[in-house]
Amino acid sequence: MLNRLRFLSTIIFVGVFGILGFSIGFASDPPPADEVGTSVSVRMYQVEGALPVDDPNAAQWETIPGSEFNLAPQVHWPERIQEVTVKSVKVKGLHNGQDLAILLEYADPTEDPKDAAAVEFMVGDKKAHFAHGQEMLQVEGGPVNIWFWKKEHDKTLDMSAKGFKTLTTQEKQDVKATGAWANGSWKVVFTRALKTEDEQDVQIEPGEWRSVAFAFWDGAVVDGLVKEKGSQKAVSSWWSIRAEPSADNSIFGWVILGLALAAGFEFVVIRKLRKGQSA
Amino acid sequence: MRGPIANGAILLAGMFVFLKFILPLLTAPLPASLIYLYLALTLSGIMIFGTMSASSLENLMGPIFRFLSGKGQSGIGQMARLAVLVLFPLLVGWQTYTRLAPSDLPPSENRTIHPAPPGEFVGLANPYQNNEANINMGKGLYAAYCSPCHGANYDGKGTAAPGFNPPPANFSDPGTIAQLQESYLFWRIKKGGVGLPVEGMPWKSAMPRWEVELPDEFIWKIIMGEYDGAHQSPRTWEEEE
Repeated sequence: MLNRLRFLSTIIFVGVFGILGFSIGFASDPPPADEVGTSVSVRMYQVEGALPVDDPNAAQWETIPGSEFNLAPQVHWPERIQEVTVKSVKVKGLHNGQDLAILLEYADPTEDPKDAAAVEFMVGDKKAHFAHGQEMLQVEGGPVNIWFWKKEHDKTLDMSAKGFKTLTTQEKQDVKATGAWANGSWKVVFTRALKTEDEQDVQIEPGEWRSVAFAFWDGAVVDGLVKEKGSQKAVSSWWSIRAEPSADNSIFGWVILGLALAAGFEFVVIRKLRKGQSA
Repeated sequence: MRGPIANGAILLAGMFVFLKFILPLLTAPLPASLIYLYLALTLSGIMIFGTMSASSLENLMGPIFRFLSGKGQSGIGQMARLAVLVLFPLLVGWQTYTRLAPSDLPPSENRTIHPAPPGEFVGLANPYQNNEANINMGKGLYAAYCSPCHGANYDGKGTAAPGFNPPPANFSDPGTIAQLQESYLFWRIKKGGVGLPVEGMPWKSAMPRWEVELPDEFIWKIIMGEYDGAHQSPRTWEEEE
């Protein structure tokens, strides 16, 4: 009798305190502050039907929130640059289960033919250095996939790199991009199928995180020279990007299971208690 | 007279107030998971104390058992019991939902800021004399090569700093170079971000691999200039003993 009571009291306390602890304790820690005061990820919202891939000014882009990332002058390897035009970029994403579209919006006071933008992804399971997947000394790195756009002729390239001086244009071009400049600001839309047959490409699986980075060149001509070109550009660090997964209704099944288990637990405990009291 | 339940509740509440509000006055705030752990230990103590004998068990658990079994209850007691029995499954359901609901946050990454250096860099001594000429040369090199990220004031706030994640180290913070030996800095400058082991996440670091561009002499002198400019001293073995 005594042992059963002990057991029951322990069960009740452990159960209740466990649940309360998770609710009150773990929920109350605020998320860690961002290290550089910007977003940490891009969410590609899932929509039905065609994506606004040809029109960076399409109204659909206004319906979703974006992320913002700071940019730095490329000082990691020569030729360096100390001061760049593009200081930050606002990024929005959409997908429809087949294709994706990424909108980059950034301030650049002048529209120049050599203005350019790029999006970089890690490809495969191995980590790749954000500077063109350059060699790391203690870690075996992987390749990167770079989507490049230049204002001149809306030139778009689907490229690969694994280390400096290995940047090559892929045989199979899967990316399209177009840009529109107005009032000191570029809007550039990149689009591609979520998945391709090309193993050099990043494959976007809805619900899975990928690493992404950005780069921009101000093609303004100053004293007869293009201001930013080649390695002289504005760059971002690696951030995360994810195509929103389809709504998962199985979660409600688990919630109902949780409710049922808790109610069953109550039922058993109370029945035992009543038996004990009448005994 | 208070029963053991009231005493236990007061003890738990007091413990919570102490851990959450009073302790942070003396040290850093505790994470919620740690507070929870301490409260669980306190509760275990209360339970052990309360279940030592049959009579203490009855004092502690009797009212709770009678409340839950609902025998002979009426009015407020009955309502309260019903509320508890309904709320508990709802709480479990809500917990299940919040744990499984898709999050917009990418998985967190725990980057080690100062991982262990490779063996060949342990215990190297700066071969250059710590004199004014060398320090000044180091400071000049620092201004040219390091300050765009690490800042002219050695505070990690260079013009390029806001774009980088992880951010450039702040040398004036006593938690950075003051905790390290000169040989450690020699490794980090010479091999750069790409020289880090996996726990340092080399793929994210923008720190250049300076051995490609600068001779060792420059690196040793930059280290001298860095410590002097940031008003810090390298960690030495003598101080540890």
